[in-house]
Amino acid sequence: MTDQIHPWTAFYGPSVRKTIDAPAYRTIGDFVSATAELYGDRPAFTVCLPNGMNGTLSYAQADEMSDAMAVYLREIAGLTTGDRVAIQMPNCLAYPIAAMAVFKAGCVVVNVNPLYTAEEMAKQFADAQPAAIFVVDMFADKLVETMQGHPIPNVIVTRIAEYMPAMPRGIVGLVQKYWDKTIKPITIPHIRLPDAVKAGRAKHAQTHNALEGYRRAIEPDDVACLQYTGGTTGVSKGAMLTHANILMNMEQTMELIEQFEKGKEVALTALPLYHVFAFTVNFLGMFSQGAQNILIPNPRPLSNLKRAFENYKITWISGVNTLFNGLNGEIWFQDTPPKHLKFASSGGMALQGSVAEQWETLTGRPVLEGYGLTESSPILTFNPYGKSRVNSIGVPLPSTEVKCVDEDGVDVPQGDPGELIARGPQIMKGYWNMPEETAKTLQNGWLLTGDVGVMDEDGYFRIVDRKKDMILVSGFNVYPNEIEDTLAAHPGVDEVAVIGVPDGASGEAVKAFIVKRDETLDQNAIRAYCKEHLTAYKVPKSVTFRDELPKSNVGKILRKDLRAEEQTKVENA
Amino acid sequence: MVGPLEQAILALMIFVIMLGMGASLTPRDFTLALKRPYGLMIGVVSQYGFMPLIGFILATTLPVSDTIKIGILIMACMPGGTTSNIFTYFSKGNLALSVLMTVTSTVFGVILIPLVLVLYAGALDLDIPRENIIATLVLLLVPVAIGMVLRKLNANVGAVTEFMGSMLAIFFILFLIVSWIPRNWEFLLTTTWATYFGSIVLGLFGFALGYGFSALLRLHPRNARTVALETGIQNGPLAIAIIAFTFAGTEAQAVMAVPVLYSLFIVITSTMLTLWFRQVNTANEQPLPNGLL
Repeated sequence: MTDQIHPWTAFYGPSVRKTIDAPAYRTIGDFVSATAELYGDRPAFTVCLPNGMNGTLSYAQADEMSDAMAVYLREIAGLTTGDRVAIQMPNCLAYPIAAMAVFKAGCVVVNVNPLYTAEEMAKQFADAQPAAIFVVDMFADKLVETMQGHPIPNVIVTRIAEYMPAMPRGIVGLVQKYWDKTIKPITIPHIRLPDAVKAGRAKHAQTHNALEGYRRAIEPDDVACLQYTGGTTGVSKGAMLTHANILMNMEQTMELIEQFEKGKEVALTALPLYHVFAFTVNFLGMFSQGAQNILIPNPRPLSNLKRAFENYKITWISGVNTLFNGLNGEIWFQDTPPKHLKFASSGGMALQGSVAEQWETLTGRPVLEGYGLTESSPILTFNPYGKSRVNSIGVPLPSTEVKCVDEDGVDVPQGDPGELIARGPQIMKGYWNMPEETAKTLQNGWLLTGDVGVMDEDGYFRIVDRKKDMILVSGFNVYPNEIEDTLAAHPGVDEVAVIGVPDGASGEAVKAFIVKRDETLDQNAIRAYCKEHLTAYKVPKSVTFRDELPKSNVGKILRKDLRAEEQTKVENA
Repeated sequence: MVGPLEQAILALMIFVIMLGMGASLTPRDFTLALKRPYGLMIGVVSQYGFMPLIGFILATTLPVSDTIKIGILIMACMPGGTTSNIFTYFSKGNLALSVLMTVTSTVFGVILIPLVLVLYAGALDLDIPRENIIATLVLLLVPVAIGMVLRKLNANVGAVTEFMGSMLAIFFILFLIVSWIPRNWEFLLTTTWATYFGSIVLGLFGFALGYGFSALLRLHPRNARTVALETGIQNGPLAIAIIAFTFAGTEAQAVMAVPVLYSLFIVITSTMLTLWFRQVNTANEQPLPNGLL
C-alpha cells in the first residue's frame, strides 16, 4: 500500500528505514551532549585558513564550552527560555559553541548573514527581537547603527581565529587589524566570547543542575531556530524550525546516506553555517556521524580551499552548483582531486548536468543533488548513492511525502509538471509573526514549495523551474533552467542566467545573460548552438554578455535582479 | 661598503626567507608544476635566457670597469628574488606561479647560474670562481627543504614560518637600506652614471621582456604580470652574499656596487610597476558571488 503511494522507497538501500517515527533525542541540546559523550576526544571542528593555519575543538571541548556558554546566557546575561539569540559570523570555531549553547539554554538561534548591511540587519532584528547576539569582530561596527532602533542587551564578540593556538591566532589578529584593517574598534558594551565562556564555566560550577533545568523547560515542538528566508523572492520571513524539525531532518538525511562510517568521516564545510543546508547537514548531520568538520571561513577565491584539501583527507563535501563549477575550473583541483572523497552533496540551486559530469570525471565520485527549502529544515529529497540521476533531485527522504499538484491543488497525473508540495516531520511550524504568509505556504499540512516539478514513473523527482520564473512564449511554457542547462554545457560559457522579457510579438521572449569563458563567443554562435539543441521557441531571442551575474550570498544566480534591470530599462525607454 | 655585520644579516635573512619559502611549498606544488611546465619554462627561459643576455649587453656597451661588469653579470644571472612574491601578491598576479618560479629558478640555478655566468664571463674575458657559487647555491636549498618538512609536520608551524619569512624579509630590506645609505653617502656620490644606469635598467628591461615574452605566448594577463615581476626582480641579497663569500677585500666591495644599487632601486621600480598593474587590471579572479559563498 505505502509503496504504491510512495514508489520511491524502492530505491532506498536495504538498511534504510522507510519511516522514522520520532527523533532519537528530545532536543538539539540533548543530541549534542549524547553525541559528544560518544566521540569524546575525537576532533569535531577544525577551522582552516587559506594559508593552512588551523585550530581544532574536540567533541568533548565543544560540549563543555557550549555548556558553559549556555549557563552564561541564562545566569549572567539573564536570558530565559524562548529568547532569540542572533549569531552573525562566518565559519569559525566560535560558531558551533554559540549555536550549541543557545540550544542548550533553551533559546532560539537566529542565523544572520555576516555580510548583511546595517539596514538589512536592522530589519531582521526588528522582526526577531534578539536578546543577545554573537558577532564576529570584523562586522561588529555595523551593530552601532543597527542597534539604534533595536537595542540588543547582550553583545558577545568573537573572532575568526578564536580558539586557534596562540601563535597563529596572534598573527591572524595582527594581520586583520593592521594589515587588512578589517577590524574596527567596537564602541558598544560587549564581552569577548572566551571571557563569557570562562564566566559561564565558573557559574556552572556553583549551580549544579542549571542545564537540566533549561532542558526540562523545552519541548521537541518548541522553536529552535528562526531561519530567515526570502533572499531570492523578496520579503524576508523567519521560518520557525523546531527542535523536532531539525533533528528529524538531520536523521532523515543521514538515514538515506549509507556511505558514512561513524567516527571516520572528514567533511569540508565551505558553505556558510548560517545557511540552512550547511546548518542541518554539515553542522549537525556530520556531528551526528562523529565526523571531523573542516570549517572554511571564506572560500573566496577558491584557492582558499587548497590547503584544506592538501592537509585533510576530505571524504565528503557539500556545496552549490557555483562551488562545484568553480572547483572544476581550478588547475590545482584538476591536478590533485581529493583522493579520499566518497561523494559530494549539492543543494541550494539546480545542479547543472555538465557540472556534475565534469566533477565526476575529475574526482571519480558523484555529486548527489538534493532539494529542499528553508521551510523544510531544509531537505526534502536526495539522490541515493549509486542510483543518482542527472538533472534529478532524487527521491523523498524517509517519512517525507512529495507530490505535484495543479493550480487548484489537485494531483496531476504522474509525469506531468505541477507545483511540488511536501509533507513530513521537517516542515516548519510557520513564519514568525506572519500568519498570513504562513497560511499561504502551509495548507492542510502540506508545504507549497512554489517550484514546478515532475515525478517520473518510478518516483524520482525533477525540478522544472520556479513557478514564477516560467516564461510564456507565444503560449508555450519555457523553463529557464532547461535553457541554462543547455547553455552551461557549451564549452565557451562560464555562467548563464535566462529570464523572460516582455516582447510585442510573442508576449514574452527568452533572454540569456552569459559570462564568457571563451572571449570569441558571440550572440550568433550562442543562438546557433541553441537551435541545435532546443526547439525554436526556446532559443534565446537576445543574448547579453556580462562580466558577472548577480548572485545571492550563497551563490544562487538572482534572476529577479536581472528581471528588475530589464524592467527599469523598459520603463526608461 | 658592505660590512661584516651586514653580511651576517644578509646570510640570516636569506636563510629565513628560504625557510619561509620552503614552508609555503608542498611536494604537490612540484607535481603540479611538472604536469604543466609551460609557465615555468617561460620563467626559466626569461630568467636564464633574457636576463643574462641583458646583463651581457649592458656590460659590453656601458663604459664601466671590469669589476662593475662582473657585478652586472652576477646580478643578471641570479634566480628570482622572494620579494617578487610580495609584489606579485599586490599586483594581483598568480602567487602560486610566482613562488614556484622563484623556487625552480633557485633549484635550476645550481646548474644554470655557473653555466651562464662562465659562458658570458668567458666572452668578456672575466674570471668567475664558479665552485664557490655552486656551493652557496646548494647551501641555499637546505633551508627550503627544512621549511617543507616543517610544513609537512605541522601546518600551523609551517604557516607561521611562511609568514615570518616574508615579514622578516621586508624588515631586513628596510633595515639595510636605512642603515646603509647614510654610511655610504660618499660611495653613492662617486659612483658613475653608467653604474647607476646599469643597475636600474637591468630590472626594467627584465620587466619588459618578461611581460612581452609571456604576452607573445598568449599567457593569461595575470600570469604575464607574474612572469614580468619574476624576471625583473632578481635575488639581490643572494648576489651580495655570493660576492662576499667569493671575492675578497676591495675587489668584493667594487663587485658589490651593482647588486647593492640594483637592490635599492628594484624596490622602487617594482612598487611603481605594481601600482600600474593594479590600475590596469584588477578584476581577474574567478567571478564568485560577493558573499561567503
